[in-house]
Amino acid sequence: MNEPKVAITVLCAALLIPAQRELAAQVASKIEAGQYTVSDGALPLSAIRLAPTVQFEFPHATLKARGSAFVSEQTLQLADGIVSGTFTSPTVYGVRAEMIGNASRAVDDRSLGTDQVDVQTRIHFRFHEHGGLWVGGGVARPWRVAVFSAADVTDAGGWAKLGGPTAKFGVATLTATFTNFAFTKIASVHDTGSAQLSCAAGGAAVSNRTPIINAMFSESGATGACERQSRFGDLEGSLHWEVGSLELTAQMGRRFGDSYDVTDDSRQWTAATATVWLTDRIAIVGGGGRQPALPLRGLPARSFGMAGLQLAYWPMSKSAVPVSLPRAPLVKSFEMRPSAPGMHKIVIRVSGVETVDVMGDFSDWSPLMLARRGRDLWELSVPLSPGMHQINIRVDGGPWVAPPGMPTARDSFGGEVGLIGVPDKASH
Amino acid sequence: MTLALLRRGLRISLGVAGLLVASTLSAAAQDPDPLGKLEQNNRVTIELLLDSAKVAGLPSQPLLSKALEGIAKKAPGRNIVDAVRKTLGYLRTARTVLGTVDDQELVAAAAVIEAGAKPNHLEQFRPRKKGRTDIEAFIVWADFLQRGVPSEEASTAIARLWQDGADDETFRSLWSNVQADISQGLNPGTALQNRIREAPGRASPVTVKPPEGQQENQSSR
Repeated sequence: MNEPKVAITVLCAALLIPAQRELAAQVASKIEAGQYTVSDGALPLSAIRLAPTVQFEFPHATLKARGSAFVSEQTLQLADGIVSGTFTSPTVYGVRAEMIGNASRAVDDRSLGTDQVDVQTRIHFRFHEHGGLWVGGGVARPWRVAVFSAADVTDAGGWAKLGGPTAKFGVATLTATFTNFAFTKIASVHDTGSAQLSCAAGGAAVSNRTPIINAMFSESGATGACERQSRFGDLEGSLHWEVGSLELTAQMGRRFGDSYDVTDDSRQWTAATATVWLTDRIAIVGGGGRQPALPLRGLPARSFGMAGLQLAYWPMSKSAVPVSLPRAPLVKSFEMRPSAPGMHKIVIRVSGVETVDVMGDFSDWSPLMLARRGRDLWELSVPLSPGMHQINIRVDGGPWVAPPGMPTARDSFGGEVGLIGVPDKASH
Repeated sequence: MTLALLRRGLRISLGVAGLLVASTLSAAAQDPDPLGKLEQNNRVTIELLLDSAKVAGLPSQPLLSKALEGIAKKAPGRNIVDAVRKTLGYLRTARTVLGTVDDQELVAAAAVIEAGAKPNHLEQFRPRKKGRTDIEAFIVWADFLQRGVPSEEASTAIARLWQDGADDETFRSLWSNVQADISQGLNPGTALQNRIREAPGRASPVTVKPPEGQQENQSSR
């Protein structure tokens, strides 16, 4: 039980180290702490939940580490940690490829815990600026989950985005996903009627069981075990709604599969979370609902209620949809002000986006990515010599536009550029 | 069978990962030749234009910057060459009108001419106090032209403010007020005339009459 405690402690400590602003990657982090009540069929258990996250964002890759620990009466009830990496290809004609790798560990005080490695690829198709589809597939390899050996995961989904940052009702993103899990399961003839049928129908006898599986079957006295190919599917719809300082996220889902693979408590689920941002970096979070079992990770279905505080040093991308949106929502404000000698700081406020870039004569017209410094705050320092400079900005890889709130001119290529004058101190 | 599926899935995943990494690396690779993405004939033409600027004693960096801007914005090669050629022309004109000024002022003046100002309007900026810079005035001027303020009105208003000794802050304030009025739906020329009366330099209202059809209610561009 010490191992996850150490991991969570290290992750929390990492959040307190201010990252160098000149790092090639953007660094974002947040920590959520609060009261959490969970019930998996037994008596409700109240615990303090600590959930740190650190994320490094590169132009075409993201590395993320996150964890959660539930502490009750000085005892660690459940710890869950995941490290993930995502590579994304450039978008070509609205198509983008994505590869995701995850390594995770969950430790429960009532079980051995689980480890899992999974790799998944996705192809995204974007239609205009307000919707898209994706299809994907991959493999998951759980360890220490006694009844699973491997799983093939395929998924497909679609999303639609309504409204905009300046719309009266804010931005709403609707997502629908279907995920199919095809896996090999170790069944015992003593389990259920369907398992007996499965084994009787020719399921291969378990001959290459891992030591842990062998131990499990010897402990439970289960004989006549067989390998059984099986599958279930999850259909989930979700809504993410942002209006002003309020964010609402709700999910509703249903699991399909026979009763041997899908327990009654995981047939359907509903959950909702509300986040109210008090400042750029502090939010109150509350929610509740039901989560289905995650068989591959050995986590049971459970009902939960939570209320807590979120401290976001450099808040995470919300990623309501699984692919960045190449659109140009209205930027709330744009500001350039002198910082260090010869340097100007660009400060942009725009919410609901994943990336913000600038380019201009000062960068030889190469895009420079801004770093997220708050919920809707993006910053970058650039060298500017005295004189007139031209600048363009873009969000989420969309079209280059002139920043708002500054003089503009046509750019010779059918677009516009922003104009900024940097005075020569010697002349004033 | 599961093992076979697993291996097949992994092979596919690794293949896709390889493609992703290769495309990412190629996208991230820096081209040592900034004009390397242009076709050979366009590139040679632009290099000749850069040489022409140097020979004429004009700054070549704005021309190179214009070419890089076109490349970054994925403009056709011919358009990029045209833009660079025109920029060289604007710089030449600005130098002829303003005489010996530093490169930054020359670039700003060229931007005003590109926006639609007549070269003879720039002549009023020729005499200046030592150390005074006209860059902010040129930026505001170029913006007004782009927003649809008639060229004569914009030129006269900016020139008079300049001659009255207006500082950078005055020009910025004028721009802020005029663009706010235009965004409210006021005719660009009228917006400028109204606001120029409030300017600290108290330049006289411009007497040039806007062309027919550009009175009130004309929507801003």
